[in-house]
Amino acid sequence: MNKITAIINNLEEAKEINDLVDAYIMPLKGLSINYHHTFSLEEIETALKLNKEIFVSVNKNIHNDELPKLKEALTKLTKLKISGIIFYDISIVNLKKKMTFKTPLVWAQEHLTTNYGTVNYWNEKGAQYAYLSSELTKREILEIKENSKSKLFVNIFGYLPMFTSRRHLVKNYVETFDLKENARPAKLSKEGNDYLIEDTKLGTTVYSSYILNATEEDFKNVDYLVFNSNFIETKDFKEVLTDYKNKKPNKYPKNLGFMFEDTIYKVK
Amino acid sequence: MKKPELLAPAGDLERLKIALLYGADAVYLGGNMFNLRANANNLTEEELKEGVEFAHKLNKKIYITVNISMHNKELVKIKEYLITLDKLNVDAIIITDPAIIPIAKKYTNLTLHLSTQTSSLNKEAIEFWKNEGVERVVLARECTKEDIEDIKKNVDIELEVFIHGAMCASYSGRCVLSNFLTGRDANRGGCSQICRWDFDLYEGDNHLEGDKPFTFCTKDLSMAGFIPDLIKTGADSFKIEGRMRSAYYIATIVRTYRKIIDEYCQNPENYTYNVKYEQTLRRVANRDSITQFFNGDYSKDVQYYNGREEKTNQDFIGIVLDYDDKTKLAKVEQRNYFKKGDKIEVFGPNDEFALTVTDLYDEDLNPLEIVRHPKQIVYLKMPKPVKKDYMLKMC
Repeated sequence: MNKITAIINNLEEAKEINDLVDAYIMPLKGLSINYHHTFSLEEIETALKLNKEIFVSVNKNIHNDELPKLKEALTKLTKLKISGIIFYDISIVNLKKKMTFKTPLVWAQEHLTTNYGTVNYWNEKGAQYAYLSSELTKREILEIKENSKSKLFVNIFGYLPMFTSRRHLVKNYVETFDLKENARPAKLSKEGNDYLIEDTKLGTTVYSSYILNATEEDFKNVDYLVFNSNFIETKDFKEVLTDYKNKKPNKYPKNLGFMFEDTIYKVK
Repeated sequence: MKKPELLAPAGDLERLKIALLYGADAVYLGGNMFNLRANANNLTEEELKEGVEFAHKLNKKIYITVNISMHNKELVKIKEYLITLDKLNVDAIIITDPAIIPIAKKYTNLTLHLSTQTSSLNKEAIEFWKNEGVERVVLARECTKEDIEDIKKNVDIELEVFIHGAMCASYSGRCVLSNFLTGRDANRGGCSQICRWDFDLYEGDNHLEGDKPFTFCTKDLSMAGFIPDLIKTGADSFKIEGRMRSAYYIATIVRTYRKIIDEYCQNPENYTYNVKYEQTLRRVANRDSITQFFNGDYSKDVQYYNGREEKTNQDFIGIVLDYDDKTKLAKVEQRNYFKKGDKIEVFGPNDEFALTVTDLYDEDLNPLEIVRHPKQIVYLKMPKPVKKDYMLKMC
């Protein structure tokens, strides 16, 4: 059975939807990127009382001088009864071995988690879970499930990150041309499509112009189906989860992203 | 002090040879599969064989990029390709996808380098890769001088760093703008460089409109003025970006960095940076350049807001195909318009001189005034001997 997994905006939201989900993804403040909201260790501890699986995302690229901060966070996190640590940077795999912690790892290199061979490689290195790329087709996702040993996460609802930079792109533009900033959030516009762009202390993320909405698709035995509430109101998000539970289409336009659209790479 | 390897890109066999002749110690290039420049010419198996033999005769090296993030369908073909590369005796392969590691270890003797696509930024990650049998890591472009020094001090592994060229605006591998906006897969070689497109930026309904439109992209990287600092970090290989660049660009950039590295290594105590090199590099570039993250700068000064309007470079006017000692005529293939009376510069790997075009002939040795046709074959009298692959440029 698929487990419904939510990326949430705050703990209040979690209380609202707790009966509708099986697991949460909680990005750790200061060490995670591509999320609109992040959580402190204390908040994660509080969330554990919701009696759901909690996966903590520590998915930023770790700069060399951030290693002490990472080690400290891992020491604290691994004392909690969380279900797993979602990672991008490979330092975390090395530190799991050195620090001998038992907390499972979720290999989540965003756009690089694209085949079952690599899922199995990371499984052997200690990541029992893999969070698949959103640029895969549904056929590829199901093939990976069939051929890999790991439990899988797949995004099925929400905005998708498509660009991450260390640079502060909005701030840099505003400063270069001495512009006045007013309301956030910012967006980029091109040929009729709008893309959310968000500067944080850790860099810049740009999101898809659309909300992925593949809730009507059957993902067979894929383990965790992820619903992302970032930039979506709690009441709307709750409605989506309720509709999913009741096997009903939700109010958002159906958008299957790359699920049936294989990308090309040779144009000649 | 260890002299670093100078590593150059090669989009095809011609550029491979040019890069090595003009001073590169090694070149990196893609075969016809599994590489991140799917739309470069790339090399066939036969060309790779010729390239490897050419390099090895000069005691130089060839690295093959096998650096896509594979999807399932590529995974099933990789073993055969690795065996082919092993038989061709390439010196290393540059990988992104670690699924290749166990396959390469089991079926080949290939040396493994880890691509910058993995955004390797810290000593823990790099220690992991060393323990996996990777012999070299191409560091993330976001590494500072202090990062490189610390990693080198703590992990006994070869480090490769970029010194020149266009850089990703994102953390490498963490951008799929191309996939979303054009359906071309950035991490499988189809990147359509959306980072150079113009966008309108809004905050709420407020259009934030500067004198130039918003783009993601950054100024190019140039480490020419900081080579001694970079050598002192202990980095082993200095990499030039640009597998899609021209032979002239490759020759000029390689030759310039060759001189800078050699001049410093020959006499580090008395070394001073020759600003003339800055001008040479600037003349073949089409965008501004900067040291980027090496000095910890990711402020507004690194951004580049000219969109896709880049300067074209028409300095390069021809390449020498042959030279006749008796007649002193060089057989030249035209690359840009030039004419009698033009003041030009001729340069080879270790040679350069200026001349005014006087004795100019067409392919049948009839006198000629203007060379206007692309790839036109002409003959030009030289004041001193030249060799095949010497280049002609406007002064």
